[in-house]
Amino acid sequence: MNIIRSFLLLFLLTIQVQANTIYNLIKIPNLEIYETKTQNKLRYLYAKQPFTIGVNNNINCYNSNKKDLDDKYKTVKKNLDRYNHKFLKKINLKYIVLCEDLSISKINTAGIPDHIMKTLILDINFNQNYFERVIHHEVFHAINDSYKNLFDEKVWSGFNDKEFKYAKCSTCTDKLGLNTYTNTMGFFTEYSRSTASEDMAEVFSHLMVGSNLENIDPILEKKIQFIIINLQKIDKNFIL
Amino acid sequence: MINKIKATKSEKIIFGFLISLAIFFFGSYFLIKDKCLFVKNYDPQNISFDNPQNIVILNVSCGNVIIELYPNISPNAVKRFKTLVSSKAYDDVAFHRVVEGALIQAGDLEFGKKNNLDYGKIGTGKSGLGTVNSEVDAPFDFDKGSVGLARTQKYNTEDSQFFILLKNEPLYETEFTPIGKVIYGLKALEKIKYLDKSQYVLRPDFINSLRMLIN
Repeated sequence: MNIIRSFLLLFLLTIQVQANTIYNLIKIPNLEIYETKTQNKLRYLYAKQPFTIGVNNNINCYNSNKKDLDDKYKTVKKNLDRYNHKFLKKINLKYIVLCEDLSISKINTAGIPDHIMKTLILDINFNQNYFERVIHHEVFHAINDSYKNLFDEKVWSGFNDKEFKYAKCSTCTDKLGLNTYTNTMGFFTEYSRSTASEDMAEVFSHLMVGSNLENIDPILEKKIQFIIINLQKIDKNFIL
Repeated sequence: MINKIKATKSEKIIFGFLISLAIFFFGSYFLIKDKCLFVKNYDPQNISFDNPQNIVILNVSCGNVIIELYPNISPNAVKRFKTLVSSKAYDDVAFHRVVEGALIQAGDLEFGKKNNLDYGKIGTGKSGLGTVNSEVDAPFDFDKGSVGLARTQKYNTEDSQFFILLKNEPLYETEFTPIGKVIYGLKALEKIKYLDKSQYVLRPDFINSLRMLIN
């Protein structure tokens, strides 16, 4: 036991002092504060230098130039201001990390939520046509991660035609299109067809950006009601 | 017959120089050794306070640090802190975690006592009074001198350990439970022993005493 303690002590005394508060809080290096004085108490951070995190260092993101950062921050904040502090606390979201060219295992991605660390990493250069929708899409993943029991994937999959099957993972398919279908047939976008959770996130994000819901098919109508009902269970005052 | 030899002018100058050098050397030695030399020691009896019932006096090696507690912001955390202060539980407890220019942390009552220091477990000890729920919702500026209760990675695990900030940490708001602010004597805390390569301090400095101004 004393040997273990000695090793522990040796380890504590030889590790480099990490005085960086942000790193201590969310375990992402090379970040700086962008804005903390927000009404919903979200804290916006940005990558001052590229960073690498994750199991086997498989998550990478790069710093942006100031102009891009300033421009995109306005858009990100405008959209995230729609979630109040009470709701954000329930879904355990507090830190928004702004960077660009975000990837997991070299596959580009729009965002990575981590509800344990209360963090959402956002790629501010991801798909400019649908950037605002993508923000809400990623927020939904944070919601879903905190309330897995509400957003049951089996129940959700049951809304689809019997012959339809989702892929095993969102990166196991080439269904990546984000254009909104004119003829929905149960799905808002091609990406909705990838996995149940991505489908839910697409429905949620379309509701958040106020997509045209006329001519919605019965399957998609069920999905929309499913999302709305479960959001109300999290926060009865939640406004889409 | 012994002839009296008179010192030459140059020898007198050299002798004077050596005497001055010796005085300077020994003087500097004692001045440098005294880390508290330029630290003002505040006497709480000479200060008037608006809320004396919320004033605590932390006595460390370089003098008194006067802290005002904010029970209106964190009632449960302040109540716990006052309970422990009143029982003199913090006396002889180590400043076991010190980040130079950033923060100092103390209050491990189980493994941080001077006569029972356990380097392998320090920072994990408990008070025996159970945990206190986090009180992080009230607005609070975690600026230099702010005092908060430490916790584990999870909320609602606050107990006896506390930290004092030596620089502004705006991200601490809503992360940690604030209990007060240093209103006099922060300089004394900047002299607390730290290590360059570790946040955890070997042979740390200790709290001499921690008392309420009014019992």
